[in-house]
Amino acid sequence: MTFSLLHATDFADRLLYKIIPPLKDGMIVLADRYAYTAFARDATRGVDRQWVRELYSFAVRPDLSLYFRVPIDMSVDRLMARRVKLKFYEAGMDLGWSTNPVESFRMFQGKVLDEYDRLVEEFGLEVVSAVGSITEQQRIVRGLVSQQLQINHVEIPDEQPA
Amino acid sequence: MNSQPDTPDLANAGASSDIQAGRYYGRGIPYLPIEGYPGKLIAIEGTDGVGRSTQIQLLREWLEVKGYGVIETGWTRSPLMQPTIELAKSSNTLNKLTFVLLYATDFADRMEKEIIPALKAGFVVLSDRYIFTALARAGVRGVDRLWLRSLYGFGIAPHLVFYLNVDVKTLIARVLAARGMDFWESGMDLKVGDDIYDSFRAYQSKLLKEYGSMADEFHFRVVDARRSIDKIQEELRKQVAAFLEPGAASKSDG
Repeated sequence: MTFSLLHATDFADRLLYKIIPPLKDGMIVLADRYAYTAFARDATRGVDRQWVRELYSFAVRPDLSLYFRVPIDMSVDRLMARRVKLKFYEAGMDLGWSTNPVESFRMFQGKVLDEYDRLVEEFGLEVVSAVGSITEQQRIVRGLVSQQLQINHVEIPDEQPA
Repeated sequence: MNSQPDTPDLANAGASSDIQAGRYYGRGIPYLPIEGYPGKLIAIEGTDGVGRSTQIQLLREWLEVKGYGVIETGWTRSPLMQPTIELAKSSNTLNKLTFVLLYATDFADRMEKEIIPALKAGFVVLSDRYIFTALARAGVRGVDRLWLRSLYGFGIAPHLVFYLNVDVKTLIARVLAARGMDFWESGMDLKVGDDIYDSFRAYQSKLLKEYGSMADEFHFRVVDARRSIDKIQEELRKQVAAFLEPGAASKSDG
């Protein structure tokens, strides 16, 4: 619970200082992780799903949410390739499922990925396969983003008298 | 960020109709089932300077003499959060939302690490303030009341909630005589004015109203706190004894 609430506090702070002011000014805000991370991670830690959703009800719903999906094995391989030591909480070591960090990571993050799959449906996240090359992914992302921005551009002239 | 845009279910958010002492108010902490724990949770509520700590100290001594194991817990006293809360209060970056969430984190830490283990072990837990202080403070700052109740759905409904009730005039005299007015207790963050006396008066009046509005919802036992320390203590002991030892309730105790 404290893990969940501390992250929510941090999120609230960033929302009010870093996200809402630029949105009010008409800027595009790119958020690296959002409330969905909390939904997935906290539920995996045994926090009530509905409670976390209500907790974050003060958040702004994004115009576009991209979920980069990757199989757990690839996730582990990529992390191990550049970093030997997995972070304690990232590996879910606090849950005591395994004393081996890599094994714990695999179990914990595997469950987190299952939670993300629920969220895709519930919140309409756009799934981007993160298996392909960076260029391939970027092409998909640019497609989705430009589509989103054009939709917004079309709406503006509609509101003005012809 | 709720998947259903309609308001949260009041029944799950902790409405008075289904509050059961010793149970979670709302959705609770799924990985910590608390049913059947032998301990008792007694909350002493009331605004700043009303005399809570004095009463708790006396109550504790009395209970311990009677053979009860007693632990105390108090607002913002968690080892995890106390330094953070003090730091945040001393800077100017706190807003009403982060304020609420820091308090909630502190409470969650004490819930998991102090209150629930003590209830499991059969202690009487005396809580100096409880979630009502958080609800009142956030309520007067305009935070959504339904959201607050959902947030605190992981709290346990105490077996007894004593609300030490006082009027703002008595409160002012008492606080001035004791230690003077403090920035936060005067609600100076609300910036209603530069004068601490006026701000204290306005803020505490609102707080008292907010506490009062929760009395029915959360089954407060309202205690008139304008009386002497001894008189208040006598009433608390009488009610606590009647609850803990229903058989011996008629026997008066000094």
